[in-house]
Amino acid sequence: MITSVSEERLLVVSDTHLGNPLFNARRGFTEFLRYAWSNSWNVCINGDGVDIVQTTIPRITRDLSECSSQLRHFSEHGLRVYYTVGNHDIVLENFLDDWDIVCVVPFLNVKSGDRRIRIEHGHLYDESFVNYPFIYHCATILGGVALKIHPRAYKMYSGVKPFFEGVGRFFKSSGPIDEEFADGERIKNEPYCFGPHAEEISQHGFDTVIFGHTHLEGEARLKSGAQYVNTGSWLFEPHYAEIDHGRVSLKRVSDLVLDETSGSRSVEKVGARSLAHAAD
Amino acid sequence: MSIKSYQSEVYGDGEIIVHEGDDSREMYVIQSGAVVVTRSIDGKTVELAELERGNFFGEMSLLESIPRNATIRAVGETRLLVIKPGELLLKIRRNPTFALEMLQQMSLRIRRLNGRIVELFSDGEITAQTLRDMETIQIAPSQVRSEFSDPQIP
Repeated sequence: MITSVSEERLLVVSDTHLGNPLFNARRGFTEFLRYAWSNSWNVCINGDGVDIVQTTIPRITRDLSECSSQLRHFSEHGLRVYYTVGNHDIVLENFLDDWDIVCVVPFLNVKSGDRRIRIEHGHLYDESFVNYPFIYHCATILGGVALKIHPRAYKMYSGVKPFFEGVGRFFKSSGPIDEEFADGERIKNEPYCFGPHAEEISQHGFDTVIFGHTHLEGEARLKSGAQYVNTGSWLFEPHYAEIDHGRVSLKRVSDLVLDETSGSRSVEKVGARSLAHAAD
Repeated sequence: MSIKSYQSEVYGDGEIIVHEGDDSREMYVIQSGAVVVTRSIDGKTVELAELERGNFFGEMSLLESIPRNATIRAVGETRLLVIKPGELLLKIRRNPTFALEMLQQMSLRIRRLNGRIVELFSDGEITAQTLRDMETIQIAPSQVRSEFSDPQIP
């Protein structure tokens, strides 16, 4: 089991939920992978890359077969694809490992330049997932129903979730968590449990901690001074984290467009064209 | 779940963090800097390893409640996260990946030690009988008896 690697150039994405009919990430993600290998970037899919909870077998088969052909290019070009397991793909761990085109890991400690970066999906720090697995499972199914109604319904559900969590926290007297980490920044609307856990991980000598899972992309400075990044999901506005010789930046996928006209596979920066939406 | 910050300690270059034979029980994670592990053998100080940021040490004293079996010295200014005996399980509960990292590093150390033993055997510095004795030490029935102190166990 590999958990520590040295990578100077690595792109990190999370929660593409391939197979989920309403994420529609297949074409966009395929293009993203093509951009990565043609520009010599290694890739880390940071959990929930494949969604087997809210999908059908025909759908997942179609999505995976298209992506796997792109993933094979990485090894052909001497590049690597890491796959950290999330909560929507736990049961696929062995299958993905046998796939032999991705390196399945529980988490990844990356040494890049003189910096140390931890990449982890983050579901282990979700209090709801760990403490109330049955309720969490039911909520996931409800989320699937919301997705089936309309993606906006899911967005509304995501919008009101922090309110209910705030109410829950008000009645639950866990004050120390707020006091201990009050100086650290937070990612907007993110449940409170993730920041402190990122803080705790950063205390093991990490300059940056990268999570996914919450579907809320953002960046924050932790109390320890470490950088905390969440790469969000591919439901609305796909983002990725770019690790370039130790420097970590959160970027929008929509800022990348493959220039195929020249056949040179060069990449140009454009305004707000969404690769995912353009492709689908 | 409430989360508390662990204690951090800072040591200057060359400063000793733990002494061989000490009874302290803390375990340390290197937040920045590095440490060198040395041991006194026949009156000589032998350097066993240098550990960098992200590595940990002191786990043997914490897990087995035994005195320190090596001296650890800071290399450059070194900041350490201190985990006290009662805090380890809580830490693992909050951050299960820490347990996996500990197991991985300990597995790596065992593999390296085994490799070293094989090298010594190949060089003729230890005999086959010594190797057999080492295996016996690991699973000595007398030790098992004393652990359980049950007279019914043959």
